[in-house]
Amino acid sequence: MLAFVIRRGLGMLISIMLVIAITFILMQLIPGDPAAVMLGSNATPEQIEQLRVSWGLDQPMLVQFYRYFVNFLHGDLGQSLFYQRPVLQIIGQRAETSTFLGIMALLVVVGVGIPAGVISSLKQNSLTDNALLLVALAGASIPSFWLGLMLMVVVAGNWHLLPSSGFTSVFHTGNLANLKNLILPALSLGFVNAALVARTARSSMLDVLRADYITTARAKGLAERVVIIKHALRNASIPIITVISFTFASLVSGAVVTENVFALPGVGSLIVQSVLKRDYPVIQGIMMVVAVLYVLINFATDLTYASLDPRIRYH
Amino acid sequence: MPTTDRSLEALMNEPSITRRILGDTLKFITKRKTTLSAVLILTSLLFIAAFGPLISPYGANTLNLSDRLQGPNSTHLLGTDNFGRDVLSRALSGTRVTLLLGLSISGFALILGLPIGMLCGFYDRFGMVVMRVVDAMMAFPAIILALALMSIFGKPGILNVIIAVGIVWAPRMVRVVYSSTLSLRENTYIEAARALGMPSFRILVRHIAINLLSPVIVQATFTFAFSIMEVAALNFLGVGIPPYIASWGGMMNEGRTYIIRAPWMILFPGVFLATAVLSFNLLGDALRDRLDPKLRRIM
Repeated sequence: MLAFVIRRGLGMLISIMLVIAITFILMQLIPGDPAAVMLGSNATPEQIEQLRVSWGLDQPMLVQFYRYFVNFLHGDLGQSLFYQRPVLQIIGQRAETSTFLGIMALLVVVGVGIPAGVISSLKQNSLTDNALLLVALAGASIPSFWLGLMLMVVVAGNWHLLPSSGFTSVFHTGNLANLKNLILPALSLGFVNAALVARTARSSMLDVLRADYITTARAKGLAERVVIIKHALRNASIPIITVISFTFASLVSGAVVTENVFALPGVGSLIVQSVLKRDYPVIQGIMMVVAVLYVLINFATDLTYASLDPRIRYH
Repeated sequence: MPTTDRSLEALMNEPSITRRILGDTLKFITKRKTTLSAVLILTSLLFIAAFGPLISPYGANTLNLSDRLQGPNSTHLLGTDNFGRDVLSRALSGTRVTLLLGLSISGFALILGLPIGMLCGFYDRFGMVVMRVVDAMMAFPAIILALALMSIFGKPGILNVIIAVGIVWAPRMVRVVYSSTLSLRENTYIEAARALGMPSFRILVRHIAINLLSPVIVQATFTFAFSIMEVAALNFLGVGIPPYIASWGGMMNEGRTYIIRAPWMILFPGVFLATAVLSFNLLGDALRDRLDPKLRRIM
């Protein structure tokens, strides 16, 4: 297991370096001089030159990349052009909303997706199965922001059940009831991914349910509930976990739009605002933070597999 | 020689290749109800994209301020927006843009992904390096990378959207081509071609590329579905194509201010989008099962 962890760990470090390199290269493609962009149209050439030197923009590209990399390792992602504050600090302030939204959406994904898939597989080809499949198929094709807007019209607009937008920090106010604001966003964000998980859970369960050890488990008189949960679902879990780990990227993508729909002060709405304001350091910072998180989650998933299925360690 | 005569006769009686392909296609389409409905929907979308201006009741940008924010009624089947523009006409006009963008983006991903994926799968050392970069590209969630690219390009525009979203989906195409090439090159006929002294380039083109057709077609169909969804998201966020071109995502964006007063402004463009995405997903599923059931594992 140790050799496996080291091998995967090295791969993870290479991926992180590549992610940083890609972000660096992309940001070199921005037309114009970053120093001139930062100082605005009233700056004198001397001021621009001074800023270029202080940012190291007069250095060769490789030196710039080295500095950039070292700064990243020190947690320095640069300064926002618009807010004039460190990028990491701005992202940090927005992280709470996005994290709560992500966790609640994940609860929807797991809590709706897995049971729906399992029920579907147990009643294969029945009316329930077909209905669930149809919903899952449609769910995977519905844009989450559209679903969010529709939920907003019906649940918040017509029924006045839940708040339609905004979110205030739970940590600052100490008020857990604020999470109510995230229910509709989490539902619209989670539903699309729940559909994918349900489809995977169904096909994976169908494979396992045919196995001999399920027949054996039933034959020795185990309760059906135990057979399903302990024998079938556990063995069907690897593909399901894979899909759930994929949902991170898809949840982040969805959150960018969903946060915008529901006017939530998260990282997703921050990147859209930064794109509209051309606040490149913030865009770059968000890209790196999200991609590095993705690499770390993949690493964690690999380790989970290896502990669930020892055969994987030797591949 | 009698044997040649007989096989000639058999050949003559066999249906021509075009007829066989037509027959196969027809069987594929009608075998499942879902495939049939997907193909019917896609055909009507193509028809709308081609002849949209002829069948749409009003111009996509015709202002009619006295009729603004009307609900669906007999003169405006899907209602009107805040400028009195006909929602149905705008949605029909958005079909053409959507299909064109989807096609261009899948094409872009294909042109970039096919050669890179093939070379990576065929040459181990090259593959080891490039696939690392490709995987790192995939660490950026789709919309984040697309947004960053749009901000680098500086302004909204059709070509910019094609390149931005194309760059996002190309690595996924590379992955599919790469893993298919890896398994294809283990075949005995590749070994035979090598033993006969066929140059690598010819093996790649004559034997590998041809056999990649199925996975590539399937992946292109899924790319189509994903990319039109992503384009809609970009347009919805106001950083996609310019607002004067009617698009489904842009229409939903315009409807946000009037969401309670005129929900149809958002409802119908969304229905168009979801229907198109659903049909492409269904078609992709069906093609995958028909062309290569083994693909289920990698897609």
